[in-house]
Amino acid sequence: MINLLWLQSGGCNGDTISFLNAEQPHILTALKIIDINLLWHPFLSLEIGQEVEKIFDKCISGETKIDVLIVEGAVICGPEGTGKYFLFNGRPFKDTIEKLARVSQNTLAIGTCAAFGGIVAAGANIIEAKGLQFLRKEKGGILGKDYVSGSGLPVVNVPGCPCHPDWIVETLMRIVMGKLWLEELDEFNRPKAFYKKLAHHGCPRNEFYEFKASAIEYGQQGCLFEYLGCKGTLCESDCNERMWLGRTGSCTRGGFPCIACTLPDFPDGSVPFFETRKVGEVPVTLPLDVPKAWYVGMANLAKLATPVRLKKNAVSSRRVD
Amino acid sequence: MSKKINISPFNRVEGDVEITIEVKDGVVQNAMSRGVMFRGFEIILKGRDPMDGIVFTPRICGICGGSHGLASATALRNAWKCQMPDNAYLVCNIVLAIENLMGHIVQFYALFAPDLTNKKYASLPDYPEIVKRFYPFKGKSYLRAIQSRPSMLELMGVFAGKWPNTLVFQPGGVTNSISMSRQTKAIGLLREIQDYIEERLIGCEIDRWLGNKSLSDLEQWLGEEAHQLSDMGTYVRYAREIGLDKIGKGSGKFLSYGAFEMPGNKTLMRDGYYDNGFHPFEQEKILEYINYSFLKGYSGGVHPSKGITEPDPDKEGAYSWGKSPRYNNNVVEVGPLARMIMDKDPLIYNIFTKLGPSVFLRVFARLHEAVRLVKQIGIWLLEIDARKPFYQKPKVPAETKGAGIIEAARGALGHWISIKDARIERYQVVTPTAWNLSPKDNFDQHGVCEQAMIGTYIMDVDNPVEIGHVVRSFDPCLVCTVHTIKL
Repeated sequence: MINLLWLQSGGCNGDTISFLNAEQPHILTALKIIDINLLWHPFLSLEIGQEVEKIFDKCISGETKIDVLIVEGAVICGPEGTGKYFLFNGRPFKDTIEKLARVSQNTLAIGTCAAFGGIVAAGANIIEAKGLQFLRKEKGGILGKDYVSGSGLPVVNVPGCPCHPDWIVETLMRIVMGKLWLEELDEFNRPKAFYKKLAHHGCPRNEFYEFKASAIEYGQQGCLFEYLGCKGTLCESDCNERMWLGRTGSCTRGGFPCIACTLPDFPDGSVPFFETRKVGEVPVTLPLDVPKAWYVGMANLAKLATPVRLKKNAVSSRRVD
Repeated sequence: MSKKINISPFNRVEGDVEITIEVKDGVVQNAMSRGVMFRGFEIILKGRDPMDGIVFTPRICGICGGSHGLASATALRNAWKCQMPDNAYLVCNIVLAIENLMGHIVQFYALFAPDLTNKKYASLPDYPEIVKRFYPFKGKSYLRAIQSRPSMLELMGVFAGKWPNTLVFQPGGVTNSISMSRQTKAIGLLREIQDYIEERLIGCEIDRWLGNKSLSDLEQWLGEEAHQLSDMGTYVRYAREIGLDKIGKGSGKFLSYGAFEMPGNKTLMRDGYYDNGFHPFEQEKILEYINYSFLKGYSGGVHPSKGITEPDPDKEGAYSWGKSPRYNNNVVEVGPLARMIMDKDPLIYNIFTKLGPSVFLRVFARLHEAVRLVKQIGIWLLEIDARKPFYQKPKVPAETKGAGIIEAARGALGHWISIKDARIERYQVVTPTAWNLSPKDNFDQHGVCEQAMIGTYIMDVDNPVEIGHVVRSFDPCLVCTVHTIKL
């Protein structure tokens, strides 16, 4: 049995909702097989007010062991470092998060906000939001770059806006099975198992991509990379292989572009979201690790070879050929 | 001597709220609902590309992000004065209806009903049965409700691709051209949802339930054993037994923007304002006050199209991050009950005229709406024409403004956008919870949830479950309260 404490900080609580969407395994099955003892969850638990403070105090004093601390939402530090933009029982919640992280065996940042600051840290970051151990690509966050939890691991970042439920379930499973080691994490402390793939992998529009047969407006079948802003070729995630909502959907299956929500510089690194910025004919943002000259060569060659069938379907709302 | 009780954190709501009540002789004399978090979405959006609203605003709220996405796309459609094809209206409404349906089911089983198992009711004969059904993570009905989610989620996936945070809604329509194969899959998934609703929630066919058109029809319906034993039947009996029909009245004034936009400036459920009679809804009558909010920049009431959101965390006398929206300076309630009253839904409107608003009726209206939505989604699914377009590319002006006014699960939701030099000059969001959980306004009128708490009898101040019933009956969503509670 593992003791799990789940905190919601500066975010939308969408990761909780996403966790409840787990289907394979179903959320109830997942809770059973991982044998989770939920110490407290703000959305799901019965305890309120002082009872919650008591649970926290017991954790901080060591009377209750936190096997896993999950934080969703960014840590709000403003204004001017006071944390007054988010008070929990009259006290800055950032302090509570920090105290609990110091005693947890494993600390997970679920969602892009908790991992890297995310949406609420966008632009000028007026509320001084931070991730637990990163702010965007920079190491540090609220806990500092040297932080390790009781298990010896840094904060394990499981970003995504929201986080895919399977990523949460598998990360917990790995912890229970003792199979989450430092070498399983990438440079941003994300489990490689989910983030060493690209959202592009498994995209149903891949044939269109190969032959540069592109959609020029929404609702069409073609690739969304050339004109409509899709970042699937540089977004590190397995969304299109794993798929969402019981394997029925994904961003590109829904007809809209991937906006690279698992990356540390999301959202500002992904703008403009809905169009592809270009110099001449060449997109400014190229597929991951593909040199520009090669991309141009490949794209030109592919365009010469595009089958008529693909050209037609790419700009049609349904398969016409 | 009155006693002050502060409940922080107040759980099983979306987001962070703190409730403070003053109790004298067991009766609530004063109540404050405080939004305790500021995220400043409206400030973040200033100066950005207008299309960023579609990405950012769904991330205001994880449980009803679809409605923000739709409000944002609708605001742009109105600002740009562009059109969308009939198929797009259908897909928008289907996605919104699935989100509302899932929201209503989760709200009842995971957030509201656990209070029915409170120890206060342990001596009642029905109590063991209530615990068997509704206790968190153990109750039969609680578990069944969570087990029923996959059909709803998969139906969502067919249309929205991903959820939370779908980007399917665009000013010119939807990104997802629905094929006949998807349509077929969706119709199958909806049937599974219907089976769940009929077997567990109402214990009869949906059409039989919708045949209930008055309080006396409901009493008669309850006469049959299968109905009595359904979750709806159990709720109706037990809620009245524990007096939920006697508490949480509120202001008695209701507002709906009109739910589910259809082609030709119509909505499926009517808009309007109710105050001892029906009145037309006029958008200009919405004003927001900030006397008791941690915000500054103006003093009187301001229309959201001219709204200002400037934080002032040390403001004297303030107690919430939420603003106080008022309609013609009245305190109004929004949500499923308001929608059902405005739509003159036969069953809910009849009970409303006979018994008045209460915790019981607010929650009952939400469940009743869930049943209506299942039926309506089925109608819309058949109306999709896969051969016709779902999107029409808009022309984009550099300077304009517009509003996206819709009904989310929790009630009236509005986005107001002004665009200058092709950037967002001003973006304001007024959420359902901003209406329902607002702090006092400049006339010292309490917000509607505060009003609903005041006068409530609390049996045991150490176990103020009555406050839980009242607050959760509004289904508050504090992450949504953009400036209001979180944001």
